[in-house]
Amino acid sequence: MQYFSRRLFGLLSVLVAAMAIAACGGGDDDDDSGGGGGGSSEATPSGRTGGEATFAYASFPDYLDPALSYTVAGTQALYQTNMPLLTYKLAKGEEGATLIPALAEALPEVSDDGTTYTLTLREGLKYSDGTPVKANDFEHTIKRVINLESGGTSFYTGTIQGAEKYLEAGKAKGDISGITADDATRKITIKLTEPSGQFPYILALWFSGLVPGDTPFENMTKTPPPGVGPYKITEVRTGRGFTMERNDQYPELPGLPPGKLDKITINQVTNDSRAITDVLQNKEDYFDDPPTGDALREFREKSGDRWRPEVTNSTYYFFLNNRVKPFDDIRVRQAVNYAVDKRALARLFGGTLEPDCNFLPPGMQGYQKIDPCPYGDPKAAPNVEKAKQLIQEAGAAGKSVSVYGNDEELTRQVTAYLADVLEQIGLKPQLRIVNGDVYFQTIGNQNTKAAAGFANWYQDYPHPYNFMFLIDGKSIQNTNNQNFGNVDDPEINRMLVEANKKDLKEAAADYAAVDKRLVEQGYIVAYGHRILPFLLSDRLDYKTALFHPVIQAVYPTFALKG
Amino acid sequence: MTTDPLTDYQAEAPVAFEELAEAEKERASGIGPWRLAWRRLRRNRTALAFGVLFLLLVAVALLAPVYADQVAHTTPERNRIADTLHIGGKEIEVVSFEGVPTGPTWHGQYFLGADGNGRDVMVRLLYGARNSLFIGIFASILTTFLAVTFGTLAGYFRGFVDAIISRALDVLWAFPVLLLGVALGVSLATGGLHIGPLTIENNSIWIPTLIIGVVNVVYLARPVRGQILSLREREFVEAARAQGAGNVRIMFGELLPNLMSTVLVFFPILVANAVLLEAALSFLGAGVQPPHPSWGTMISDGLRFIVSSPTQTIAPGLMLVLTVLSLNIFGEGVRDAFDPRARVRLER
Amino acid sequence: MARFIIRRLIAMVFVMFAVSVLTFLIFNVIPNGDPAARMAGKNSTPQQIEAIRRDWGFDDPLYKQYFTTMKKVFTGDLLSYANRENVVDRIKDGAPRTFVLAIGAAFIWFISGVALGLFSAVKAGKVSDRVVTVLSLIGISMPVFWLGALMNYYLGYKLGLFPNGGYVTIADGGVFDWFYHLIMPWTALSVLFIGVYSRVVRSSVLDTINDDYVRTARAKGIGERRVMRNHVLRNSLIPVITLWGLDFGAVLGGGAILTETVFDIQGVGQYFQESITRLDVPPVLAVTLFGSFFIVLFNAIVDIVYAALDPRIRLS
Repeated sequence: MQYFSRRLFGLLSVLVAAMAIAACGGGDDDDDSGGGGGGSSEATPSGRTGGEATFAYASFPDYLDPALSYTVAGTQALYQTNMPLLTYKLAKGEEGATLIPALAEALPEVSDDGTTYTLTLREGLKYSDGTPVKANDFEHTIKRVINLESGGTSFYTGTIQGAEKYLEAGKAKGDISGITADDATRKITIKLTEPSGQFPYILALWFSGLVPGDTPFENMTKTPPPGVGPYKITEVRTGRGFTMERNDQYPELPGLPPGKLDKITINQVTNDSRAITDVLQNKEDYFDDPPTGDALREFREKSGDRWRPEVTNSTYYFFLNNRVKPFDDIRVRQAVNYAVDKRALARLFGGTLEPDCNFLPPGMQGYQKIDPCPYGDPKAAPNVEKAKQLIQEAGAAGKSVSVYGNDEELTRQVTAYLADVLEQIGLKPQLRIVNGDVYFQTIGNQNTKAAAGFANWYQDYPHPYNFMFLIDGKSIQNTNNQNFGNVDDPEINRMLVEANKKDLKEAAADYAAVDKRLVEQGYIVAYGHRILPFLLSDRLDYKTALFHPVIQAVYPTFALKG
Repeated sequence: MTTDPLTDYQAEAPVAFEELAEAEKERASGIGPWRLAWRRLRRNRTALAFGVLFLLLVAVALLAPVYADQVAHTTPERNRIADTLHIGGKEIEVVSFEGVPTGPTWHGQYFLGADGNGRDVMVRLLYGARNSLFIGIFASILTTFLAVTFGTLAGYFRGFVDAIISRALDVLWAFPVLLLGVALGVSLATGGLHIGPLTIENNSIWIPTLIIGVVNVVYLARPVRGQILSLREREFVEAARAQGAGNVRIMFGELLPNLMSTVLVFFPILVANAVLLEAALSFLGAGVQPPHPSWGTMISDGLRFIVSSPTQTIAPGLMLVLTVLSLNIFGEGVRDAFDPRARVRLER
Repeated sequence: MARFIIRRLIAMVFVMFAVSVLTFLIFNVIPNGDPAARMAGKNSTPQQIEAIRRDWGFDDPLYKQYFTTMKKVFTGDLLSYANRENVVDRIKDGAPRTFVLAIGAAFIWFISGVALGLFSAVKAGKVSDRVVTVLSLIGISMPVFWLGALMNYYLGYKLGLFPNGGYVTIADGGVFDWFYHLIMPWTALSVLFIGVYSRVVRSSVLDTINDDYVRTARAKGIGERRVMRNHVLRNSLIPVITLWGLDFGAVLGGGAILTETVFDIQGVGQYFQESITRLDVPPVLAVTLFGSFFIVLFNAIVDIVYAALDPRIRLS
């Protein structure tokens, strides 16, 4: 997952503030999520309550501390143990993209200038260990994120007044001037440095999951802090797994039902094929990592109807660095686009890729399928001859280009493929495989001068700018650059500024236009969207288990067959 | 291999009494030790056979580009993932839609099948042989050079020089070989090597060569030192000194030639060890870097498809076993040839 | 004797110190990325990176960083760069697994190696001897990770005869399951050594059989079995036992990393492998120290045993 850098928040001011206002204001589209909105309106299918299950994780979560975790393995659990003030509606597709109040009574009230957010904590909330939840715990939660120098720090230092000063002071006990709360009235007031349409979503991040005000300023993975949520983590076996059990203190918030299972034991199983076999043999009930190679084949053959493909809002693409020769020449970029064989890539992904030439994923508002694809049908053979011709015309034949990828499964193979494609059209690729932990910092550093390489993006928020910032000229930075290709097209930049001013419904067409131009100018080579196979054992009820577009696997919905 | 190859030298071939008598006769006959050794080696059919096998492997490896070009019509890096082959009247998908590569076709193209990226396994096997053998041989040459240098200096000068060199060797010895190799391999693979004017790109196969060369020095340096220690007391050295020969002359003129037989005996085993170490390092990702093929990386890459397409993993492993076995058997033959009664004790 | 032991122990400490310095230097002198940037994550700000640098002391001079890190190793406070977990705790968790793997394998290879070696020595020259020799040589030439991977996939995954990797503690699965999961890793790790040891024992035995004093004993009329037992066996096993001591130290010290990785044992070697690919220095340093401790310890033990047996050595 990747997140915005703070410079971008201001851009979305009007548009997303409008969205936030629409969402928290009226209530016409939100009857089942506002205030005390009664029982859940979405059908809660059967599947019995109670029982235990075991899940397999491909790797132990980086952290089991809401302030620090940065991987899906960690957040899937933390979303259910430490709920934030706001969260998402438990539904699929676009509906699942709506924010609903969790620990807050209602969606925030935003001042007219968009810089002050006011929320009220629900009454009578208790953490899983029985201690009452206090309004001031919110500030403590945010302080931990910043003080522990978490990966999520910049969300808060980039938006909340006084947060950056807090970081610089380096003292745990300092104060964040922008956050004030009154335990008696349960009111929480947050002042931002400038209006930010992203802020409501930031409040829904697991980083914002509330923890008690006395939680120490250290990595609490071994003894995760109590929270408000359907589950609590009761045992951690570092490096091996952990256990989640039903939280008896959970008050059942509207739209957020308690967990069905009583206990979930999570074990680390690093061997893919072993995990799949275990799930197929019902020794484990769920495996969180999409299998590749033999494991995938086995899984398809033997799982029958126990799996379904979940199309994620993600895009896999190759970046081409516009600041490094020869990719500053449009002909060279087009050549790469002509030569990449999307059928080959589909095979590398073993059928878990939906080939497409759009940059936006199909589930995103603003998506309009570009048909026909300007560089050839993704399902047909590529035009390598034309590509070679273009390279010759541009005088780029024989030029050395660095090709970057990381060492994870699939990325490695895909990057090797890219290098070969570049060689076939007449360039001289230099393959550089970098460790996954440092990959994005490496290609995000202008000094590396990475000419081309692997990239992907999974949505954080259901908003097209979440993808578009990756190719916005304004996003370019010297370090930690997310616009790996240094795309800086004046036309695109202008269109994005315009689109950001409008309401999302009106702006959808603009985003589609940006998508089209991006692809036509060959700035990137988008090749598809990922399909994640969602596999459960026979013991679990398939119909109730929910795979949410943002949260991913929603554990409280997992139930034994009734 | 974590065992000190020296231990193989505690082992010796069984010597029946008749052979012993034969050996005594030969020694008494006055033929030089080198000719004797060669004679004995020639008689050892098994060792010779495996020696020839090893040379064949080297030759085949050197011919890899020819095979790739003329027979397979491809390169070790060419990804032909979405292609369909027409072989023997049948249509074969190089990589199926589910991502499973084809098995052996037993024809010129994709003789042993394809790997996950649609590359020709046979071609990569041969190029992998080139890389693995190159690293094994040159690393061993480096090891020999360093070990002889430091072992001789330590054994000859003794005292302070010996103390420093021996302590350094002790430290290297204490370092778990694989851990050291992996640590160096991973850091150098990331940043490359820059010492003054010398720059080695992080992709170059000189990096694993250097690492393995250095890491294996300990195995040879100690026996060399031990030998020098005993050689320097011999009469011919005293005689040379009496004649006024300086240290350098003695070392180069008297000691090194006598050391040669020891070195020759160790060399094949050293190469065998180096090849195995390179495979292990590449398997762990700390040796040869992609997209260059090496038997170790091929085994690691092939594990994803071990059930559906096992050739990818089995072929490089078999080549490894064959290569190392040949070197081991030939090496034993060489050792037997030089001294059927050799009893080289583990130096402490 | 006591003086010798003390000298060896002092040498041990010195060597371990040198190993720690060397490891530290490898990672801090060879450029391989900024640990602060790595810890800060993907969308970090310069302030964040600065804060980490300050708190973790990355700006301090190298020697200061070295002492701080070493101190943390001994106080058990060492945290990993990748996920800030306690390195020493992870090692304490993984060490029993590595020990079990090493000890079990060492036991198996010693017994099998010696038995095979004796067998082929007794049958020297015959067909059975040749067969054993060939098998031993193949064993020596086989890469343990390849053998292990093949065993794991074919015997474990495909045929289901053995579990498909993993380690089960006695607490979790009982003695039987624990043992069942270890059969394949033990075998894979032992194969190489069985090959070596059978040959070493064979020649050692053949050596002693032909020795003069044995001929004398026979000439004196001492029964063949007594000769074998009292003279041949005892004397031929001395070099084997010392070799075994060194090899065991080497396996504990890191030789098991390949077996652990292939079978997913989650021991100390695998922890090293995971950490090194992420360039996570603290675990790498700690595991290296752990490993060299055992190598050096067993070297010292073997030395001391030798010295006890042979006075000439301790006086040198």
